[in-house]
Amino acid sequence: MPELLRPGSVDEAAGLIGSHGAAAAVLAGGTSLLREIWPSDAGYLIAVDGLGLDRVEARDGGWSIGAAVPLRALREAVPIPALQAATREIGGPAVQNMATVGGNLFARAPFGDLAPALLALGADLVFASADGEATQPIDAFYAAWSDGAPPRAGLLIRIELDEPAGASAYLKCARRRYSTPSVVTVAACVETDGGTVSAARVALSGASAAPFRCGAAERAVIGSALDDAAMAAAAAAAEAAVTPATDPVATDWYRRRMAGVFVRRVLAQLA
Amino acid sequence: MESKLIRLTVNGREEAVVADPLATLQDVLRDSLELTAVKSGCGQGGCGSCSVLVDGELRLSCLTLAERVEGAEITTLEGLNETNAIVPLQQAFVENYAAQCGYCTAGMVMAAKALLDRNPAPSRDEIVEGLSGNLCRCTGFAPIVRAVEQAARALSGEEAS
Repeated sequence: MPELLRPGSVDEAAGLIGSHGAAAAVLAGGTSLLREIWPSDAGYLIAVDGLGLDRVEARDGGWSIGAAVPLRALREAVPIPALQAATREIGGPAVQNMATVGGNLFARAPFGDLAPALLALGADLVFASADGEATQPIDAFYAAWSDGAPPRAGLLIRIELDEPAGASAYLKCARRRYSTPSVVTVAACVETDGGTVSAARVALSGASAAPFRCGAAERAVIGSALDDAAMAAAAAAAEAAVTPATDPVATDWYRRRMAGVFVRRVLAQLA
Repeated sequence: MESKLIRLTVNGREEAVVADPLATLQDVLRDSLELTAVKSGCGQGGCGSCSVLVDGELRLSCLTLAERVEGAEITTLEGLNETNAIVPLQQAFVENYAAQCGYCTAGMVMAAKALLDRNPAPSRDEIVEGLSGNLCRCTGFAPIVRAVEQAARALSGEEAS
């Protein structure tokens, strides 16, 4: 059975993660870890409550979001449509009171439904380690996952999010309306200039080994009107780009089809 | 692993229990304090039958380490009323046949209380969302939703009078 450690500062927590390496697991809301921990081989649970990571600070042009902010607190503090939708789609109210922003970014498929929203919004992740703070774009963080597992990058302490320049939307495809793992989740943020898409970010989770931005779907809509043809092209590009798995929630075939369907639907919300 | 002394405030009472450092709040409430309205369902955060309030917010006691809620106000179904008489929310469950086997009921009532404390006049959709983390495998949910609708009407009526 693992040992619970309660560091008194971010530096101490980062030091414990550095020194215990793979034997350490970060305990935030506990909604994933405590149900998985008993068969796991983690030797140490490093609790990150009480470290001041549970605050959202509005700053000029955006927000600094502590990694231990619960999902509901995020929804109440940051009025971006894609984030509002994403935080409603994870668990029920009790889970949303407990589960944290940072914890959800480390959840493995078919969980982790917050990731596409923050990918579409271009968030940056700030990690603390013995070497100090380091900032990484969220796309790069997920690109470094291997076998569906995150790299060891220190302790995630906050998420930096700028006010989006465009409109955003988020959709989850699942077997039930609420409190259920996803088949796929999709988010998009689109900027238009005189009816033409000037910038787009389209992201998916549940459709590949890790959440990712789908550059092919983005290129399918940039430079054209967000019309049926462009949305169909983006959907086809997403279907071609995903590498979904089969699990008890859905087959790879179904996930691939729904990746396309939901990319089209999420873009249609922004058209 | 050594047991340790954990001090909790449960239903307004100061409690001290000796527990494993990784004991869940559910373990302590049920086994040490014998508050068995807290049900042990899935242990995975999927059913909501262990729901309690921690500082007024709905939480899953099965996924909460007891040690981490020292100093917080914990409320279980037993703490809804000091005299142990049922409260209007529970009465609404009775009148609407919102319990069959009863296993989910305490968690449903706590989820409904958390919802109504925050939103005294919820729409039907808001009630469904508020109860979305709680599973019932008997009633089909409709009587439970009706019970919460009735409780909301009763509570808003009380406030108006």
